[in-house]
Amino acid sequence: MAAQAAITLSHVTKEFTGGVRVLDDINFTVSPGEFICIVGVSGCGKSTLLNIIAGLESASSGSVEVPSGRASVMFQDPSLMPWLTARQNVELALRLRGIGREERKAEALRLLDLVNLRDATEKLPHQLSGGMKQRVALARALAQDRAVLLMDEPFAALDAVTRDLLHDELERVWRETGRTIIFVTHNVREAARLGDRVVLMTARGGHIAHEWSVTVERPRQIEEPSVSTIAGSISGALRAELAKVHNV
Amino acid sequence: MSNPAAESDTRSLEHRLDALQAGPAAAKPRRLNWLSSVWPPVVAIAVLLLIWQSYCWIAQPRPDLYPSVIDVWSAIVANWQSGRLPMALGTSLSRGALGFVYAIILGTLVGFLLVEVPLLRRAFGPIISGLQVLPSVAWVPAAILWFGLSDATVYFVILMGAVPSIANGLIDGIRQVPAHIRRVGLVLGAGPVALHRFVLFPAALPGYLAGLRQGWAFAWRSLMAAEIIATGGKLGFGLGSLLQQNRELADLPGVLATVLTILLLGILIEVGVFTPIQRRVLQRRGLTEAR
Repeated sequence: MAAQAAITLSHVTKEFTGGVRVLDDINFTVSPGEFICIVGVSGCGKSTLLNIIAGLESASSGSVEVPSGRASVMFQDPSLMPWLTARQNVELALRLRGIGREERKAEALRLLDLVNLRDATEKLPHQLSGGMKQRVALARALAQDRAVLLMDEPFAALDAVTRDLLHDELERVWRETGRTIIFVTHNVREAARLGDRVVLMTARGGHIAHEWSVTVERPRQIEEPSVSTIAGSISGALRAELAKVHNV
Repeated sequence: MSNPAAESDTRSLEHRLDALQAGPAAAKPRRLNWLSSVWPPVVAIAVLLLIWQSYCWIAQPRPDLYPSVIDVWSAIVANWQSGRLPMALGTSLSRGALGFVYAIILGTLVGFLLVEVPLLRRAFGPIISGLQVLPSVAWVPAAILWFGLSDATVYFVILMGAVPSIANGLIDGIRQVPAHIRRVGLVLGAGPVALHRFVLFPAALPGYLAGLRQGWAFAWRSLMAAEIIATGGKLGFGLGSLLQQNRELADLPGVLATVLTILLLGILIEVGVFTPIQRRVLQRRGLTEAR
């Protein structure tokens, strides 16, 4: 329990020019190998928080510690390089890490197999479905070999069937690779399905409103009663947050 | 904790879904495609030539002012056999190619410089766009005064014609790279050089190629104009010079023969070089419009 935290946020505050405070004194720690979901309505600052942990934006004050170094990031848009095949896209991440040609190819094929894309390694992005593209993006993020993986609504644009299968896929990959994952979503059921811990952000003001520990045994199913119960309680808190906004 | 049976089930379900959603890679009958894009212009040209020849047969106009297709063809053969046409062709093509290579190097360097230094771009961007509108033939008199009747004059005019297009193509191409592609490059840890080499330049390739294509068109036009205006001295004998010489000889079939040669060469390079490269690049990115 005393092991070093994978991510430590202390007093993180973010103000945009004009004095709009999107994050206000955020404190939390993430243990190595933990799967955290951050939930909140649009504009609550959850993506800003992720970008700050990723180092893409800087906090106005407070500190972010990621002892393992920089994190890898996945976005809602798979953002594959359209001129590279699935394998070459993964290899690009390896190449930017300075890995040699031979090793690069073997490693890319291994990672694509990990995300169940063994048959699509030589396909170009425009020949892949949305779910397949997002899995290539996952393989590319894993290729960076960083202990922390940040995901910003990665499955928001996918259909329900694909998303369901990707939840299983991500859970398995997470277990096999031992990554620490912070997963931002506005989908409450998705958060309850995936997270060890779910963090709800307030709708305005940039605080953490509530936290849930999800102890349901894995692998989980999204329609499991125990998952639904937690989703229901998160959903209730989310609505309460929204109600506060309307009362203002 | 893990359940191997359920897991393999997920994997096979995912495979099936992939197969449904991605669909089979459509095998394209490439040869047929190629043929179907070649025959319409060929037939169009044949019809135009037939109309022209029929007019000459029926109306019997003065052959020195309105030569028939057959007269022009004979002029091509005669110019070829006299050695003037092959020489002019060789001179113009090698000048055009070499000048274009210089223009690619210079235009690419200028493009990258203006992309990288925003102040330079704001300062020189409008000037470069303006130069694109200025017909580069306008530089011929100045170039003759600076460089005399030498090849330097011709290359200078080619550069003034092609460099702005190439630089602008690269600048536009890089500026149109979607922000998320650039962001992924940064997230993957690319430094400034790697970001340009592996992300920005390849992403800008379609725009850059469009710039090259336009640059070549301008280079070729500039070259022809320069050769018509500037002849003699140390200048070699190009297609423009041949055109001018045939005019001085009042040899209209020879003039038309040269015009047709220049046109044909332009079409050949367009269809034989730029179109296939551009098509391949766009196809790879899934950007080709449905036929």
